Amino acid sequence: MELIVFIFLAVWLVLSVVGAIIVKNPVHSILFFLSSVLATAGIFLSLGAELIAGLQLIIYAVAIVVFYVLVITTIPWEKIKKFEGIYLGEFLVGLPFIIISVIFIALLINKYDISSIPVKVEITDNVTRVGKTLFTYYLFPFEVASVILLIAMIGAILLGRKEE
Amino acid sequence: MTLEKAYIVLGFLVFFLGLFGAIIRKNLITILICTEIMLTGANIILVTVDSILKGTDAQIMSLFVLTVAAAEVAIGLGLVMAIFRLKGYEGSSEITHLRD
Repeated sequence: MELIVFIFLAVWLVLSVVGAIIVKNPVHSILFFLSSVLATAGIFLSLGAELIAGLQLIIYAVAIVVFYVLVITTIPWEKIKKFEGIYLGEFLVGLPFIIISVIFIALLINKYDISSIPVKVEITDNVTRVGKTLFTYYLFPFEVASVILLIAMIGAILLGRKEE
Repeated sequence: MTLEKAYIVLGFLVFFLGLFGAIIRKNLITILICTEIMLTGANIILVTVDSILKGTDAQIMSLFVLTVAAAEVAIGLGLVMAIFRLKGYEGSSEITHLRD
């Protein structure tokens, strides 16, 4: 059963990602990316990480995708038709590099024995464990993340204002 | 190959497909989308490792990756819009000020 779920989600994810990097129109590309985000949330659920799956749906599928679509609608696409599509030379050079890299990494991962790793078993559910760890051991990085978001907001406002 | 290893290989495949897209696409916005795909691949690997170890640390790392992705898309799209408004560029081959 787990194998069937994995094969379904993996085929869905890889097809969405390939579609997102191949199609010409940026709006179609962002829709393929939305499909890949949904597949990723399914993968997180099947791995038992419910909190990250929910955050993936909330942050990516709602906030980031809507932001992309809003920005795409403000650009007049008739003027810049020549920048749709892909560079053919880079495509032909990059494709063997990607294939060889993935094959070698897969061979390396296959060689490693993961059953020898010691595992600490806890009985509480995923959200409780992540929340407890996040607000005890990772409290300071959590606060720093809010500062990162604040600086990003200030930067976006500075970049987006009109020049005098 | 067990199922967890297959998930890790899937994460690497998604990461490299995103890198490939960032290399080959002409449009600046689709290059940003490919960066998001790379971050998604990294998240898949982190959560898979956590599911192997039955821990929580890597999930918290992937939560920070989500934060950085949100900050990156705000700054990146702001930069793309500023470049387009000030110069009229929308392709990655037009931005050659540092090269010339």
